[in-house]
Amino acid sequence: MEGNIVMAAKLIGAGLAMIGAIGAGAGIGIVTSGAVQAMGRNPDATGTIQTNMILGIAFAEAVAIYCLVVALLILFVVG
Amino acid sequence: MTKTTDVTPKKKGWRWGTNRWIVLGLIILGLFLLTDFFGAGLNIKPIRPFVQLPAEHWSEHPLFSTSFLGIGDFYLTNTLVALFIVMVLVIGLAFWFNRAVQNAFKKNDLALKGIPGALEALLEGLFNMTQATAGKWAWTIFPWFAAITLTVLLANWMELIPGVDSIGVIEEAHGTGYAVQPLTAGIATIAMPEVAEHGSHLIPYVRVVSTDLNFTVALAIIAVVAVQVIGVQAQGIGYFTKFWNVKTFFSKPIFGVIDWGVGLLELVSEFSKILSFAFRLFGNIFAGSVLLFVMGSLLGSIVIMPSIFYMLEFFVGAIQALVFGLLTMTFMAQATQGHGEHEEAH
Repeated sequence: MEGNIVMAAKLIGAGLAMIGAIGAGAGIGIVTSGAVQAMGRNPDATGTIQTNMILGIAFAEAVAIYCLVVALLILFVVG
Repeated sequence: MTKTTDVTPKKKGWRWGTNRWIVLGLIILGLFLLTDFFGAGLNIKPIRPFVQLPAEHWSEHPLFSTSFLGIGDFYLTNTLVALFIVMVLVIGLAFWFNRAVQNAFKKNDLALKGIPGALEALLEGLFNMTQATAGKWAWTIFPWFAAITLTVLLANWMELIPGVDSIGVIEEAHGTGYAVQPLTAGIATIAMPEVAEHGSHLIPYVRVVSTDLNFTVALAIIAVVAVQVIGVQAQGIGYFTKFWNVKTFFSKPIFGVIDWGVGLLELVSEFSKILSFAFRLFGNIFAGSVLLFVMGSLLGSIVIMPSIFYMLEFFVGAIQALVFGLLTMTFMAQATQGHGEHEEAH
């Protein structure tokens, strides 16, 4: 067993950074569930609901993307 | 599907019969290249490409060096080349669309066909969205929305073109690399096995422009500055009371101070908009590119598998382009509405 401890720490750190995606996943699920329920009750409003749903998903997803960027920076830039 | 009752019969219909054979031929070609194929195949194993965050340079020497704005050495990078390609495509599409519309007016047949027709449908959808959100300011906001969406859409979809990210110069790697296999005169490829020293990796000629933070940050700054400009156009200098709100500072005892603090938070949120715009696009597309590389190297031998991820990236690219434009449009629409004018607007 031999290896580079810095490399190991980078890989573990990148993995840990992605834990933040949990919140975004739950958030996107909640947004979509609400939007689908609303579309089911009021199919005429589908267009408006869809636009707002995509906006909400984009905001919730941004957090996961920050985690992803941090993980990518750790993997490919640092050190 | 509703156009089946067209009067003129189409000479060349949808080429289902031909396209099917082309797809089958490509699958067999893939099997021949990537697997043993009953002893006849070339059995080239796909490799995991070298992943690098900053864009690679085309040349050793910078194009020019200047101390203006602290630019320093200016290199021609492979993402910049992709940006030029995207710009040429967007301008070309604009001219094509313009000519198609003028021809349609001449022939008095206003239904556009082909790619101009698809572009018209896209722009109409975007305009309806703008009008539903921004009302009378739709004509000011729509050009920004459409330009950003089209540019980012074409930039994102470039990662689906074969050859982007995979044709380039072979350079010696610093760490582990791959062995070089000459194919024909002047053309070589890198393939397995992995070698620890004196290996090579590939520097592509063209890399998707959205995987360069410079592009996404620049686009985000343009979008956020344009939001402020449209806010000033709509409300005059009073727009800035959103950030420095001292109207109620002395008249209301405690809430005046809170209003002022909220204004400062609005200022911070403008800067965080730049960050979230830039990192959302960059993170999605860079991760998508890496996903395509890794899935190509892991599942490349199962020929159909990577195409599923290409479809995923097709949707991700479209959605990210739409989200970038849609958020710009929403922020602009918000900037045109002041705090106290909600009543007179409706």
